[in-house]
Amino acid sequence: MSDITTSQPARSSSPFSSFSVRDAGTLIGLILIVAVFAMLVPGFVSERNLINILQQSSINACIALGMTLVIISGGIDLSVGPTAAISAVLTASLLVAGYPVPVAIVAGLGIGMLCGLVNGILVAYVGLQPFIVTLGTLSTYRALALIYTGGNPVLGVPMTFRSLFNGNIGGIPNSVIIVAVIALVAWVILKKTPIGEYLLAVGGNEEASYVAGVPIALTKITAYVISGFLAALGAMILVGRLGAAEPILGNLWELDAIAAAAIGGASLMGGKGSVIGTILGAIILGAMRNGLTLMNVQAFYQLLATGLIILVAMMIDRVTRGRG
Amino acid sequence: MNARLRFDGITKTFPGVKALTNVSFEVAPGEIHALLGENGAGKSTLLRTLSGVAKPTSGEFYVDGVIAAFKRPEHARLAGIAMIHQELQQVPNLTVAQNMFLGHQIKSAGGMLVNRREQEKRAAEALAMIDPTIDPSVPIKTLKVAQRQIVEIARALLDKAKIIAMDEPTSSLTPAEFENLAKVIERLAGLGVSIIYVSHKMDEVFRICHRGTVMRDGNVVGTVDLKTTAEADVIAMMVGRELQHEEHNSFVKEDVRVDVRGLSSAVTHVRDVSFTVRRGEVLGIAGLVGSGRTELVRMLAGVDAIADGTIAIDGATLKLTDPRSAISAGIGLLPEERKREGIIPGRSVSVNMALPSLGKFSKSGIVRHGAIKSRANELLKRVNLRPFQIDRPIRLFSGGNQQKAIIARWLAAGSEILLFDEPTRGIDVGAKSEIYHLIENLAAEGKSIIVVSSELPEVIRLSDRVIVMRNGRIAAQLERQELSEQAIVAHAVGDAGLKTHSAKQEQAHV
Repeated sequence: MSDITTSQPARSSSPFSSFSVRDAGTLIGLILIVAVFAMLVPGFVSERNLINILQQSSINACIALGMTLVIISGGIDLSVGPTAAISAVLTASLLVAGYPVPVAIVAGLGIGMLCGLVNGILVAYVGLQPFIVTLGTLSTYRALALIYTGGNPVLGVPMTFRSLFNGNIGGIPNSVIIVAVIALVAWVILKKTPIGEYLLAVGGNEEASYVAGVPIALTKITAYVISGFLAALGAMILVGRLGAAEPILGNLWELDAIAAAAIGGASLMGGKGSVIGTILGAIILGAMRNGLTLMNVQAFYQLLATGLIILVAMMIDRVTRGRG
Repeated sequence: MNARLRFDGITKTFPGVKALTNVSFEVAPGEIHALLGENGAGKSTLLRTLSGVAKPTSGEFYVDGVIAAFKRPEHARLAGIAMIHQELQQVPNLTVAQNMFLGHQIKSAGGMLVNRREQEKRAAEALAMIDPTIDPSVPIKTLKVAQRQIVEIARALLDKAKIIAMDEPTSSLTPAEFENLAKVIERLAGLGVSIIYVSHKMDEVFRICHRGTVMRDGNVVGTVDLKTTAEADVIAMMVGRELQHEEHNSFVKEDVRVDVRGLSSAVTHVRDVSFTVRRGEVLGIAGLVGSGRTELVRMLAGVDAIADGTIAIDGATLKLTDPRSAISAGIGLLPEERKREGIIPGRSVSVNMALPSLGKFSKSGIVRHGAIKSRANELLKRVNLRPFQIDRPIRLFSGGNQQKAIIARWLAAGSEILLFDEPTRGIDVGAKSEIYHLIENLAAEGKSIIVVSSELPEVIRLSDRVIVMRNGRIAAQLERQELSEQAIVAHAVGDAGLKTHSAKQEQAHV
């Protein structure tokens, strides 16, 4: 008599186990949108245009990854655009003043993290609402960028810097490669490190997390610092592309980033969100804009389409969640 | 039949649980009808269906012989049914009259303005029927809990309530306040109002109720005439067979593990508390609601700040700043409100278990989920998680199984001192007995355990020693052989000598 036992469930550490049903839904949404535009716009699915879409989505994806971590922790970061602007004008000024490229990059990323740190401290230690804190710093950081530059753009960013963020390797834009690496790191943080578990726990139930010994303040501050860092990185990509840094750069970036995270399955109540989903969400928004532009649709209607896509995505999310 | 209210086959199922099964009984006009049963017997669920908060899966209510469907709380109110909740639902800053007319104010000027004078007049009329000493124009927060309860009852009278259901109305009342409430209830019954009275306090139930319906596991065990039935028989009906003759087992070792001296809270009224817990000892903490039981264990767990006093573990004085510091000292808290303070609802049982010990389960900054799984397999099996699905979100489990997962959490963290705050609140009878056995097993392993409970049989069943709290201080420490419900209650409410003393003090102040 052979001893038959049910096999133990496979280890869950395979990278595909984190591709959830919700992520599959976002992917189907993306495929549908691409299919529709493929029929309407000749050349939409060409290799060149697809790479274009990825490149156009890369900055929003970068910002939205940080936003996703903040949203998972139960917060929100409305100050990402002005944070990017501060970082951009500082980096560009240093470059124009002749500082070496690595120094300018470190300073730019550092100031972004500092902006995030201030947000995090105000949320975690002063106990203010994340919405209010970052609404306040949204204005404050923007004002600092404008004051620092006197409202003028910083021109003449050297080619060495530009080619770093705006070049390509084997036809793949550097910005896409950078964001892909960032996404991988964000995925590891969320899925594989204690801080990732803490983010999900704090956003899921802060009081229970506190009783269970989760370092609440450290967790929240980490999320905002990462968000500030990624806002600064997004600014570098844009400065590389434009060759100049405007103090008004990054206007309304926060809304695109929140939209990408929400389409990707992040819950504004906290405790829920997906790195893969957010990336797909950013690409959905990018593909929409790209396709509508190729169809020569006016900007007004593009805005309308973006709004509708967000609402439809949320309704589908709501309905399927109710059933599941 | 001329029943005021008839429950006819009320059944309520939740996903995976049958909370009420075919509940049928009647309440006569002017009757004070007790609804009896242990926690989790289904009394609260039944009241929720009666008040229109939850819809029964099947079954009907008849009010004065007419079928009544309550889709919303408003429907129940219009049918003449009023609920007096344990937690009073009042707005503290509004006046007594404003609270009584909340949601259906008396309007003037064509509905534009609230007619406060008319409201106060009508409120005073309703209050006069039951307790004329309450002034309808003062803010409700200036009243004592007992008076606020009377206001709720008067509000029900304003609504022309024919049936008033009261859920544990006396849980935070003094004996004198209970006497006053009993008079009010008897007066209401005299006016022909039917009362459904839910209480765990058997002496009160037998004092004021005419008949009682006993529930267990969502079923009606029977309806009895309380004037002719013995208390012991009713209790036997409530608990059923299994829990009756469980013996207490003691595993107390010699050495003192926890030594608390002169502990006072920085945020609550707990003052000057001193006690010890030995290895393998189960220390019970009893007392009325608000006596400081929960507040005391929250201090020990590092949740509430300590103003004064010391906590020493195995002779070493602790410095508690937050729950983290308590956890690293080997203290684990199973909080009273599991949903709010215990679980991360959307995360799996195994992650909920591992949360405080993620450092232990990590290697060079990366969490080893395989290690969590194998530990979860072992510990959740030990606490008998059901269904045994360690990757399932914890919110999908019953209260009892969530509690087991939190126990496993502290076993995984290696905690040697476990603080159970109301360990079986809202848990069904079967899981309750499992948790009792678990607590005993943990004591047998040498862990030191503190159990806070409102249920005296539970405290007596589990404890080697009991501390009775009153007004934030220790009123008595009772050894195992001194334990009885009467002794605990006497210390919890203060004995006769103390009462006359405080009465004299009050007179002196007048």
